[in-house]
Amino acid sequence: MDSDEITFTIDGKAMTARAGETLLQVASRNGISIPTLCHDERVTKTTSCFVCVVKHVQSGRFVPSCAATPQRGQDYESSSPAVYEMRQTALNLLLSEHTGDCESPCTIACPAHAQVEEYVRAGRKGDFRESLRIIKERIPLPISIGRVCPRFCEKDCRRNLNGLPVAINEFKRLAADLHYEDYMEELPPLGDKKVAIVGAGPAGLAIAYFLRREGISSYIYESMPMPGGMLRYGIPEYRLPKALLNKELAHFDKMGGISIYCGTTLGKDIHLETLQREYDAVAIAIGCWQASSMRCDGEELAQDGIVWLGKIALDNWTGENPKKTIVIGGGNTAMDCVRTAIRLGSDEVSCFYRRTENEMPAEQIEIDEAREEGVNFEFLTAPIRLEKKGKLLRLTCIKMELGEPDASGRHRPVPVEGSEFSVEADTVIAAIGQKTDAPSGLKTNKWGDIDVDSADLCMSDNIYSAGDCVTGAATVVEAVAAGRKVAIAIADRFSKRVHEEPETINASRGHWRSMAKDSLVTLKEVSDEARMVLQQISIDARRTTFDEVTVTADKTLVSMEGERCYECACTSRDTCKLKQHSETYSAKPDAIGGERLVLNCDTRHPVIIHDRNKCIKCGICIKICNEVIEKTLLGYKNRGYLTEVGTAYDMAFPASCAECMSCVEACPTGALDRRHKL
Amino acid sequence: MRINEIRVGVSSCGLAAGAQDVLNRLKERTDVPVLGVGCIGHCYAEPLVEVLTDAGALMFGNIQAKTKDIDALLSLSPEKQLHNRSERTDKENLRITGMIGKSEPVDIDAYISFGGFDGLKKALTRSPQSVVDEVKQSQLRGRGGGGFTTGVKWSLLAAKASNEKVIICNADEGDPGAFMDRSLMESLPYQVLEGMLIAAHATGATSLYIYCRAEYPLAIRNIRTAIDQLRQRKLNVIGNKVLDIEVKEGAGAFVCGEETALIHSLEGKRGMPRFRPPYPTDSGYHGLPSMISNVETFANVPVILRDGATSFSSIGTKGGRGTKLFALAGDVKYPGLVEVPMGITLGEIIYEIGGAEPGSVKAVQTGGPSGGCIPASLFDTPVDYDSLNSLGAIMGSGGLIVIGNNRCMVETARYFLDFTHRESCGKCTFCRIGAKRMFETLERITAGHGVMDDIEFLEDMGKKVKAGSLCGLGATAPNPVLATLRYFRSEFEAHVVERQCPALECAALCDVIINKAQCTECKLCLKNCALNAISEDYVVDNDICTRCNSCIESCAQDAIARVTAGEGFRGSVAKEVG
Amino acid sequence: MNTFSYLKQFAPEKGNIIKGLQEIQQREGYLSKEALDRCADFFNIAPAEVEGVVTFYSQFKRVKPGRYRISVCDGTACHIKGTPLILDWISTDLGIGDGETDADGLFSLETVACLGCCSLAPVLSINGEIFGNLNRKSTLRILKRFKKAGVSNAD
Repeated sequence: MDSDEITFTIDGKAMTARAGETLLQVASRNGISIPTLCHDERVTKTTSCFVCVVKHVQSGRFVPSCAATPQRGQDYESSSPAVYEMRQTALNLLLSEHTGDCESPCTIACPAHAQVEEYVRAGRKGDFRESLRIIKERIPLPISIGRVCPRFCEKDCRRNLNGLPVAINEFKRLAADLHYEDYMEELPPLGDKKVAIVGAGPAGLAIAYFLRREGISSYIYESMPMPGGMLRYGIPEYRLPKALLNKELAHFDKMGGISIYCGTTLGKDIHLETLQREYDAVAIAIGCWQASSMRCDGEELAQDGIVWLGKIALDNWTGENPKKTIVIGGGNTAMDCVRTAIRLGSDEVSCFYRRTENEMPAEQIEIDEAREEGVNFEFLTAPIRLEKKGKLLRLTCIKMELGEPDASGRHRPVPVEGSEFSVEADTVIAAIGQKTDAPSGLKTNKWGDIDVDSADLCMSDNIYSAGDCVTGAATVVEAVAAGRKVAIAIADRFSKRVHEEPETINASRGHWRSMAKDSLVTLKEVSDEARMVLQQISIDARRTTFDEVTVTADKTLVSMEGERCYECACTSRDTCKLKQHSETYSAKPDAIGGERLVLNCDTRHPVIIHDRNKCIKCGICIKICNEVIEKTLLGYKNRGYLTEVGTAYDMAFPASCAECMSCVEACPTGALDRRHKL
Repeated sequence: MRINEIRVGVSSCGLAAGAQDVLNRLKERTDVPVLGVGCIGHCYAEPLVEVLTDAGALMFGNIQAKTKDIDALLSLSPEKQLHNRSERTDKENLRITGMIGKSEPVDIDAYISFGGFDGLKKALTRSPQSVVDEVKQSQLRGRGGGGFTTGVKWSLLAAKASNEKVIICNADEGDPGAFMDRSLMESLPYQVLEGMLIAAHATGATSLYIYCRAEYPLAIRNIRTAIDQLRQRKLNVIGNKVLDIEVKEGAGAFVCGEETALIHSLEGKRGMPRFRPPYPTDSGYHGLPSMISNVETFANVPVILRDGATSFSSIGTKGGRGTKLFALAGDVKYPGLVEVPMGITLGEIIYEIGGAEPGSVKAVQTGGPSGGCIPASLFDTPVDYDSLNSLGAIMGSGGLIVIGNNRCMVETARYFLDFTHRESCGKCTFCRIGAKRMFETLERITAGHGVMDDIEFLEDMGKKVKAGSLCGLGATAPNPVLATLRYFRSEFEAHVVERQCPALECAALCDVIINKAQCTECKLCLKNCALNAISEDYVVDNDICTRCNSCIESCAQDAIARVTAGEGFRGSVAKEVG
Repeated sequence: MNTFSYLKQFAPEKGNIIKGLQEIQQREGYLSKEALDRCADFFNIAPAEVEGVVTFYSQFKRVKPGRYRISVCDGTACHIKGTPLILDWISTDLGIGDGETDADGLFSLETVACLGCCSLAPVLSINGEIFGNLNRKSTLRILKRFKKAGVSNAD
């Protein structure tokens, strides 16, 4: 044996090192992967990150494998729990001071986790087909959701710091309107597994869609005459024209492997036991269709909002003029009722709500548009009695005042003694809320919703459930997200793979409400224009017809809107070693709390961006510039927690740096990066 | 009694107390020789003056340049004499510092006349190897904190075949609360240099550097003067080689006590440590073989050579040979510089030399920010490297901070982490961020916002910071917290669970009250309160009060005191109730 | 324009940069941008590295300190003997916090690691002159003395 060769072990495996070879080099030669951040073969050792530690068994000490050289007879551990924990803690510590938005706030906010920034960017560049492709990875009903989504993404959009948020949903709507019919996903061939789905609403359709994308056929049983669920029978025509819904549903046919049987009710026409026997899995997505009670005397004299809307939908958005109408409730269904009543010809429509406008659960735009259409609002008003008075109804109410906030944070309304008053109306509609009407035999929780394991939405054995019947009345996008989760769980079950959603981390810069305007980082020109506005049909048409209120904007306008986007997400998120290792070692940005400095991001150079908030102070850039390029443009500053890496006196990078880019290529995170990467 | 000579201690603390004026005034008043000498060690009584008479030496303390004091001194009046001196010298063993106070520190002839350079002379008559062996045999261990065997280090450097070798004296005494090295350099500059010259002979070193804190101007001045004297006397010539000796000033970075950081600093760089190996003896200052030792280590060397290794190693224990200097400070009656044999107990140092009242002391912090606290119940522990390590503390460089019962241990731990996390060079993840997170946690606890998980976090992260740091700073930074948790966990729990600071030190966890029975309504507290937190009827509003103690300090009646949080008056609470 | 010609006493090599910076600070009281540029030039070191050195060591000041530089010792002995209270009293009296200089440029206040006079704790130094065994009364008396000196010197 060569006398220079050193024999030792890593994880019990004998290895031989040449003189001067580091543990990391020997490990990598022997196929043992050790994570590193601050290591770069071209420069002298930095040994700063401590992510590459291994444990020297004899002394119990942890050593950085990138620098330590083994001695004869030593034993090292690289995969023991203790080593895992040290690496994880090092990563947790680095994440505790690292901010850079691995994902955009809009993407995080989206319940379906659609890649929002990406589809907005594609739209900005005019490629709405690409936009649609990205959207459909997560959202199978873009025509509908592009119209009815309450826009979680826009609420968290950083553009709120500077005017109104980017009109994100218009990208979805336009992309779908332009390309829905000419886009077909790449679909795998169908296998022999089949799944029964009960309910052809958003959740059921989403389950079918994502199963199809996994090569699994599904059979949907729907009790109503047509598929669509709440989209068809709950959301009024003027918000979502049914012709468009039909176009959206036609795609499910085109995909093949999805069969829908309408007019088939669970418990009557089909039975759970049979489905369970005949199919490889069953998914319950029956929604939540039972109206909640007003809890006042004579409430049976009122119409249930959801039932009333359903009836009108079945009659193809025609119906009797309800004349003087009072709708009780403050949610979106209440708004759908008042606006539908107007369209049916009523000239006196009121909405009674027991709190104030601030507490209304309905979307603000719905409230505003209802008001424009002539709806009258009575706040702090609660019903206590409903009785017949000749042909009319007499509603007795009491005025309320706001008390202490309740568990939900909303102020609890308290009745004002002696403030009772009565009004008369032809129609009283209760739109208080909806409950799940769970078929007998299914386990329910204390709210009456179907009880599932929150991890995979499995109820028991091979039965899954998703959508409103699990969550209570919620949004289409949430139903679609849950549908995807069920589809993946079922596909996992069939393939016996242990597949978890890949763990992703997000080192957020924070919510816009807690940010200063000048702490925003932008890598491109951002338009100062105000938010785009959708054109609306005339107010007359809105009052008298069920025509869609808004008109899809044109490509130019929507692309321009994209210029308002800050494109918040990190440019290096696909290559960031900190992110990769953190995900491998389950390190989390919030595992260790503490001060996060807000540092500036230098965007003065035309090509290079230097974002100190992402810097892990490994010093590779400094050494590359000094030892390889022999320039020394970068250096450390300060010490301890305040240590920074930067140019002298924070001068801009010289133009000549654009030719080299060595530091940028070497940066393990996105602290140094190319500006126009995306 | 006739006065033959007067010696005034004019090291830094003496000067701070006014010794220069005393020296000047004495020179005006008397014709006997008046010398400005080094640190006599009884720092609690500065300025110190020693008067040599026919009947022996008398020590006077707290002498100011006032006629009254000077008269008392010259008439040898007993009132200003220090009477506890003999108790102290019984315990002490002044092997290293024996020459302090006998002459002016930079007077080379005086140094020689008291036996200075005898060690060097002996060494030069012997082969380098036999000098190395002598030092090895003495079992001298590094006095800077690491405790590495000095002779072994010397033999590593001696074994290097290089035309140029470097010896560096680490005088960057960074422990905030230690002043042994400052005293040695101010008072015994020749002895330190003599040790370095012996080391140069033994190892073949060609350049000697002294890396000294810039905060020690007098030490730098004295050592520079001493170097000039050496050059004039050609004492810097070893064999046929003229040694290069230079003092370099540090610029304020605790981490530069770490040898690789110190070398970077000497080279004009940021003092950031690097991974070892290579060790400095292989590749040090500018890549040359280099050896770094602490001031006190070098000061021991002439004594070993003069008296022989056997004499040296006869003192002390297996866990540490010879004597050790300690900077005794904190809650003791007689703080100062002490030299004691290894193996003495902490109790002897703190109670008998320091004069602390038994029962008044809670703990002692050894090793400064890198060390740990030892509770009073363990004060019978003999002081050496190994026994202190076993208690979770370290010998360190020799700072001994005595912590009285009225101090909060959580606050003390917070203080040390505040220091170390700011002194971290910022390189290693665990030290840069981990120590910061530990500090934040301690801040939260002392501010009354801690939770039990915080205590667990401190223990867990403390262990990991120790394991995951390249250099001694990070590897020891959690020690004060971990040791405090080990011995005073109940104080942490009181802060977290009961929201109380048992020592009434943490401002957020105590109130201030005025005891009406003692108050004479003299208005002094009202005048001294910058925030008008005290009402006309002498009630402190603890919602306004910041616990600055101004009223407590100003009160002549001792009527104002800190009390447990919740016991004092709070304006906002009163309003709510009303 | 200051040419810092006294730098010529040092050999123009990298190892002397800290000495050079100390000399400038000794003379000028602080390190201006010009001083750093001159050092980079003279010792032939990249400006990024000079800045790195200056910001690493706590001795170096980038802003001009007050005429009287109050350094409150926060060494261990001083700390446990009451440095936080002393800082509080000085801050209240002068209206400046740790690391600040007053509007007139008379006083600047800083904490320092250890002045090495632990047995006189708590201590502070003003322009290098050390004051020990402080309590509130003596601290305020010392400030008063320097305020007075500042006023009479200004005339």
